[in-house]
Amino acid sequence: MTGTEIALIGAALAVALAGIGSAIGVGIVGQSAAGLVTEDPDKFGQTLLLQALPGTQGIYGLLAGFIIMQNIGIIGDELLELTVPQGYGFLMAALPIAIVGLVSGIYQGRVSAAAVGLVAKRPEELGKGIVYAVMVETYAVLALLATIMLLFGIPL
Amino acid sequence: MPIIEMKKVFLLGHREEREKIFSLLHTLGSVELLDIKSGAAWEEFKTLLEPEHAGETVSQTESVLSDIRYCLDFFQRHFPVKKNFVEQFTGAKLELSREDFAEFIGRLEQVRAVHESCYRAEEKLALIRNEETQTQNLLEELKPWIPLSLPLEEIKDGSFTTMGLYTAAEENLDNFLAALSEKVSAHYLEVVFTENKYVSFFYSGLAQEEQPTRDIFKEYTVTSVSFPDLEGTPAHNIDLLQQKLDDLAKQRESTLQEVEALVEYRPMLMACHDYIANELQKIEAVDNLARTENSFLLEGWIPAPVLNDLEVAIAEKTDTAVLAARDPEPGEDFPVLLHNSGPIEAYEVVTKLYSTPRKSELDPTPFMAPFFFVFFGICLSDAGYGLILSLLALYISRKLNLEGMGKQLIYLLFLGGISSVFFGILFGGYFGDLITLPPLWFNPLDDPMRMLFYCFAIGLVHIYFGMGVQAYRNIKAGHLLNAVYDQGFWFIFLNGLILLMLPEYAAVARWMAIGGGVGLILTQGRNQSGIILKFLSGLLSLYNITGYLSDVLSYSRLLALGLASLVIASAINAMSEMVAGSIIGVVIMALVLMGGHLFNIVISTLSSYVHTSRLQYIEFFSKFFEGGGKTFQPFRAESSYIDLAEPEEG
Repeated sequence: MTGTEIALIGAALAVALAGIGSAIGVGIVGQSAAGLVTEDPDKFGQTLLLQALPGTQGIYGLLAGFIIMQNIGIIGDELLELTVPQGYGFLMAALPIAIVGLVSGIYQGRVSAAAVGLVAKRPEELGKGIVYAVMVETYAVLALLATIMLLFGIPL
Repeated sequence: MPIIEMKKVFLLGHREEREKIFSLLHTLGSVELLDIKSGAAWEEFKTLLEPEHAGETVSQTESVLSDIRYCLDFFQRHFPVKKNFVEQFTGAKLELSREDFAEFIGRLEQVRAVHESCYRAEEKLALIRNEETQTQNLLEELKPWIPLSLPLEEIKDGSFTTMGLYTAAEENLDNFLAALSEKVSAHYLEVVFTENKYVSFFYSGLAQEEQPTRDIFKEYTVTSVSFPDLEGTPAHNIDLLQQKLDDLAKQRESTLQEVEALVEYRPMLMACHDYIANELQKIEAVDNLARTENSFLLEGWIPAPVLNDLEVAIAEKTDTAVLAARDPEPGEDFPVLLHNSGPIEAYEVVTKLYSTPRKSELDPTPFMAPFFFVFFGICLSDAGYGLILSLLALYISRKLNLEGMGKQLIYLLFLGGISSVFFGILFGGYFGDLITLPPLWFNPLDDPMRMLFYCFAIGLVHIYFGMGVQAYRNIKAGHLLNAVYDQGFWFIFLNGLILLMLPEYAAVARWMAIGGGVGLILTQGRNQSGIILKFLSGLLSLYNITGYLSDVLSYSRLLALGLASLVIASAINAMSEMVAGSIIGVVIMALVLMGGHLFNIVISTLSSYVHTSRLQYIEFFSKFFEGGGKTFQPFRAESSYIDLAEPEEG
């Protein structure tokens, strides 16, 4: 495999795994939110906010994938020929957000789903529910940070 | 002092003026009523006063209110008032002029009739729905039997033959048929249809062989199907049922039309709802009182600055009432009302979403507000996005008549937009890289390490500031030593550790770190008993350094979110460039740009808001703020549906 191909695996993993995490997370919240909205359709806005929270991991993954694609020239200019070590560099750099995005997306979904239950009984406490969910997202943000720093650190 | 001082008021009045005084308090809306029987003062008054009860009018008023609610719910189910996305958070209300409001209230006696009609319509709808399901079920059951051309009433046992419709599992069919031909001398069987592995058929046999036939049916679990009360062929019946369904649909339609005619009463009901709810509030408030034969006593809290207004109003409008106010006694729990002026008020919403401060606590809002402003800007860090966000917030605040927390949140987003414009110019973000202007300071994408360093630095300032506030609280409470031990030593220790990284200060730094560390070891266990336990828990307290470390590292999210909004914006720009070229391409490009950037603004604003809040709650508030206070809830007019227009000047 050429270095460019290995780098592309990294981009694919970042987008795919983090996206899966978000899809599962958003799905979990959507199920419990739909349950609540059958009882109280006016809570749609609040629950949609909670449902959007675990969606960020997928965006972070896309972001990492996009930076890789831009760095190796898939978007814009011509494709760079990377050496194998450079390719592995990109692959490794993609792993933090890929793995943490997958797991944290699912867990953030569970916390947000619980927050939907909280909003059902006490709509005024939406803020606290969001804070609980954001505690989980912290680690996705840190992983994204690691990924970005690694990506910018690869000598081309 | 942003937490408003509260005064306890006692109001003594004549019984005959009770309604008047209550209406006055209700309009002023500045007093939180207390149940006098549960207060400390009750012991003194107990021998003199009787508790007052609201009496029967409560249940009467409640029943009117529940009638109105029933009608409004019923309308909402069938002819809902749609709320848009913003209104779901803010709760849009019907705007009414005072004249209209008064006119609607005047029609209060119509409520009974409207309620009666709604109730009847709902009953009718339920009946129709019931019948519909039954008909639908029968229809589904009957449908597969269409090929059977025999009228259903003729399928019955005669004197020589038996007839019936049956269903059996497909897998048993062969054995069942074999058993029949073996044990029964004559029979007729016609399969009508097969569905879901079950075969349904018409069967006719000899009456004299009924018993053996039944045994066979039992053995192969063949079940009988019957349609009692139906006459004619299945096809004919299906036509009838279909017709019945159509009839029912028409009936429902006409009932709904009746309901729709009632919907015109909705504004009237809404006005009555708010009116009655407030009346009920006034009536129920009577429960808080104590009375003698001809006078009543009321106890409550009032914010000190408006006490004078109340005194003036009572003196002017009433003849008998006497007002006495005093400061809260030490240890007495009083409700908390936040008061911040200017832009800082917007940030109260952040504090309130966490917790109301306690009575003796500082309101953290003014300390937190500047940091919130800055952090939000760094997270969004795009001049274009900031501009759009501010304009949107401005538009919403003009368009919707917002109150309380909704208003504060919108104002907060407006300020966040301004902050974002500022940082966007510093870092050179204008819709990502759509407009390339050189950054005023530097672009974090080019030098993320440098930006990370600044994020940690500003985080450190934030944390130190929180410790400083706690030190101030300690000193103010007279615990000077606590401030030195708990904040001072940590401050020296942490700074020593940080300076160790700079070689030129290493000598000083070492002594600072050692001094601070020893100070902590010696003092952090001071609440323990025994010298060994004191020393051990002092030593263990140094482990808290991990807490401070993770607190500081947490501020890296400022960089990450700033980069995220920037890079997503660039990605949108890159995607839109790919389609540019032809005329259609330019149109698509414009759509991609608009949709993409709008999406990014929403997502990035959401993460900027929640992550900035988190930095305040977890990293900052934990240093000095406890919360858990009781919010001031004055006795005043509340509205669920109606927004009364301000009376016109002149």
